[in-house]
Amino acid sequence: MSEELRVSPIETRGVAGKRRFAMVVDTRRCIGCMACQVACKAEYDTPLGVNRTWVPYKVSGKYPNVKKHFLPRLCNHCDDPPCVRNCPVEATFKVEDGGFVLQRYERCIGCRSCMAACPYNARFMLPSHRTYTPITNVVDKCTFCFHRVTQNLVPACVQTCIGRSRVFGDLNDPNSEVSYLVANNPTQVLRPEQGTKPHVFYIGADRSHTEFARDAYRRLDVMESERAAFNKHFKI
Amino acid sequence: MGDYVWFHDVSWHATYAIYFFVVGILAGLSFLSYGSWLMPALRPLREKAAYGSLGLLAVGGLLLIADLSQPMRFLNILNPAYLHFTSPLAWGALNIVAFGICSILYILELKKGEDSARGKLLAMVTAILALGLPVYTGYDLSVHQSRPMWNTPIMPVLFVGLAIASGSAVGTLLAGGNQAAQKILREFMLWSTVAVGVMIVGILGTTNYGGSAEELTFMLLTTGTMGMIFVGLGIVAGTAAPAAMLFVAHLKEQTTGLAIAALLILIGSAALRYALLMGPQQLQTLY
Ligand code: SF4
Ligand code: SF4
Repeated sequence: MSEELRVSPIETRGVAGKRRFAMVVDTRRCIGCMACQVACKAEYDTPLGVNRTWVPYKVSGKYPNVKKHFLPRLCNHCDDPPCVRNCPVEATFKVEDGGFVLQRYERCIGCRSCMAACPYNARFMLPSHRTYTPITNVVDKCTFCFHRVTQNLVPACVQTCIGRSRVFGDLNDPNSEVSYLVANNPTQVLRPEQGTKPHVFYIGADRSHTEFARDAYRRLDVMESERAAFNKHFKI
Repeated sequence: MGDYVWFHDVSWHATYAIYFFVVGILAGLSFLSYGSWLMPALRPLREKAAYGSLGLLAVGGLLLIADLSQPMRFLNILNPAYLHFTSPLAWGALNIVAFGICSILYILELKKGEDSARGKLLAMVTAILALGLPVYTGYDLSVHQSRPMWNTPIMPVLFVGLAIASGSAVGTLLAGGNQAAQKILREFMLWSTVAVGVMIVGILGTTNYGGSAEELTFMLLTTGTMGMIFVGLGIVAGTAAPAAMLFVAHLKEQTTGLAIAALLILIGSAALRYALLMGPQQLQTLY
């Protein structure tokens, strides 16, 4: 790995004795079953309307040559995360060994700076009432299933992925499956121009998803009507 | 067609825009109160501006706290063990506290009723700390590398311009019929409004020539309801119109004309802050 890329003091790229967990999402194998999204919901009791991981899709082409592209999304556990830089109270922090970007719920003041800073909209605000957990009114996001990974399990979404589209492991370990996949395939990351150095790598991702403004040139009134329909069903 | 859109919420809502507005006026008033030590014509405004800025600090502080989803944890941001200095919010919190303390000391000095050297010094320190408030609010937006339009170093300067414009506008209303004070305030309003206009045109131009995200942000800000607020109220009615009015020489002597220009500037600066906060965030809800 080239040295000039290592600009942030908290990066763990190639650091001996430190792990650097990453996820590879092979979009050629994703069938859009949303099992990952459901498994994540079950693991964390994520409220209706918000998700730690979600699977947007886009249909391209004209009948009969059409294709549906899925692009599972989640927090990228960036090497140089703007959400960590922006948090005024260090409620969002980076775990040096592993590279997880985590949240201290008891410290978060709910200023939503991290939400504004994340280029991927990976964060959301938890509502004020939840059924099974007292964690409310703070920002939440994917944790790469820190509690599972530290017990040598893979994240819930990876465990459940029917197509084996999601693969998880330590990029600093040359023998890991993720190292092999990243080394032997052309990979894409979301919005690389942001310099966040994401740790979610895609194989075969469609550019209309990895770049901004999938819907950039749609008519505003169409977007507004879809937004109204969405809000009607997902009000929390 | 056929795209499934995952809608996200905007991070910061209108409360923040009102906070920007309030903080801008309080900084502008603080500059005026210090200005009264340098320009005798502004002397009648000294106490009014100092009290006004302290009162607005209370309003702004309450708005900020109310906007947190965990309001009682605002103390966390003042806890030295938690403070994270890479965040502009942390600097902002320290700036607000320092300004509040200095402002109270300054008012206590003013209460003595004499033009002391200490009063002048406190006025200067308060004004410098007040300058930090619009600077940090602009900085707060400009650090967001992924948000088109916010991510420009001109943002803090623009917020200072807006603070001088809206502070002088409130000063004009407070000055009543005082011709000497109004003459100076007219100059402040005119040049700060022109500066704001130039910066807005600059930001809009570079946004329109950016990538697809920037172009859409430009589109969102110049069409529909947001277009009415940003272009209609903010640029045309709240910047160009008062600047043109203030250019007309005979308004120098007209209290009503100046008051109308001041009101337009206030409407414009509120609209600009709202649109600059909300417009660029609309795009993020689509990605
Ligand atoms: S994807 Fe967003 S929330 Fe996750 S680490 Fe990066 S900036 Fe932070
Ligand atoms: S919302 Fe919480 S985690 Fe996010 S920046 Fe504010 S305090 Fe930090």
